[in-house]
Amino acid sequence: MQLFIELFGKQIPSYGLMIVIGVVLGNLIAFAVLHYSRLDLNDFFVIEAYTFLGAFIGAKLLYLIVSFNEIQWGRLFELQYFNELMLGGFVFYGGLIGGLIFALCAGKFHKIDSKLYMKRLIFLIPFIHAFGRIGCYMAGCCYGIPYDGFGAVVFPEGSLAPSGIPLFPVQLVEAILLFIIAAFLGYMSIRKNWDYSIESYLILYSIVRFILEFYRYDEVRGFVLGLTTSQWISIAILIVSILVIIKKRVEKKKLESEE
Amino acid sequence: MGIASLVLGIIAVLIGLVSAGSLGWLGAILGIIGIILGALGRKDPDKQGIATAGLVLSIIGLVLSLLLYIACVACLAGLSAM
Repeated sequence: MQLFIELFGKQIPSYGLMIVIGVVLGNLIAFAVLHYSRLDLNDFFVIEAYTFLGAFIGAKLLYLIVSFNEIQWGRLFELQYFNELMLGGFVFYGGLIGGLIFALCAGKFHKIDSKLYMKRLIFLIPFIHAFGRIGCYMAGCCYGIPYDGFGAVVFPEGSLAPSGIPLFPVQLVEAILLFIIAAFLGYMSIRKNWDYSIESYLILYSIVRFILEFYRYDEVRGFVLGLTTSQWISIAILIVSILVIIKKRVEKKKLESEE
Repeated sequence: MGIASLVLGIIAVLIGLVSAGSLGWLGAILGIIGIILGALGRKDPDKQGIATAGLVLSIIGLVLSLLLYIACVACLAGLSAM
């Protein structure tokens, strides 16, 4: 719960530090997996860079869409306002979808089998995301509902969470669940060469996210028909992922019966 | 491609060091493009040195830009976040 950590005499934002640690560790793990699977490091860098770009654009676009009414569109070309818009506000799901789309584009543009890399390394997304959630905990954002039981946390003055009230540690709970998902998917992708790792990640995360949304308390969360925007997106992703798995299995059975 | 990567990498590092987070998003984007150009440039054996330098600088620039930029970017006062 520290907004800033002091390193080498400078005040570094904890959230940024957490994400950087996650990305660095994630890449180190990726290098090991690439080496073990005899995949190309440069191709990986290209896919990763496209994914970051897509994630940035997607997260920002979705944020602009859900905040449509709050944004002063007339001021868009004012440098100060534009910079503020760039600084604040991203939606994870936009980032996830944007990232996946751009990763596939990287494959098309540069003739790389991006699906192969994605299947092997998708477990790194929940891994890095978990670090991001720890960052949320440090900054006090994305906080939970008032709660008095085991594990309740109280944020100090100055963070983004209401201070002095015991809250549900939803950021830490999500971080722990994400680490578990990452470990499980990592094991399945690397040791078992699991074909459905991307779909499994989407199914697991959408379920986790749907449930945890009930424990979040940060204001101004768009509610449509009783559920938040993220819950609706979770449902959509869950359904699409299950359909993709079914489609893949049907195609596999067809190929097998033709042989 | 290698030289472009090097230039972008240098700019990204500078933005990361100097802008204290406010232009971090720009440094991050330039760093990302620098990484793509650097990685692709490394495939050409003649230009591998410069492309690798560009790649490394772009990565450093991206990291520096991200570090200060994500001061809980998702929750900065003003507009909502999810």
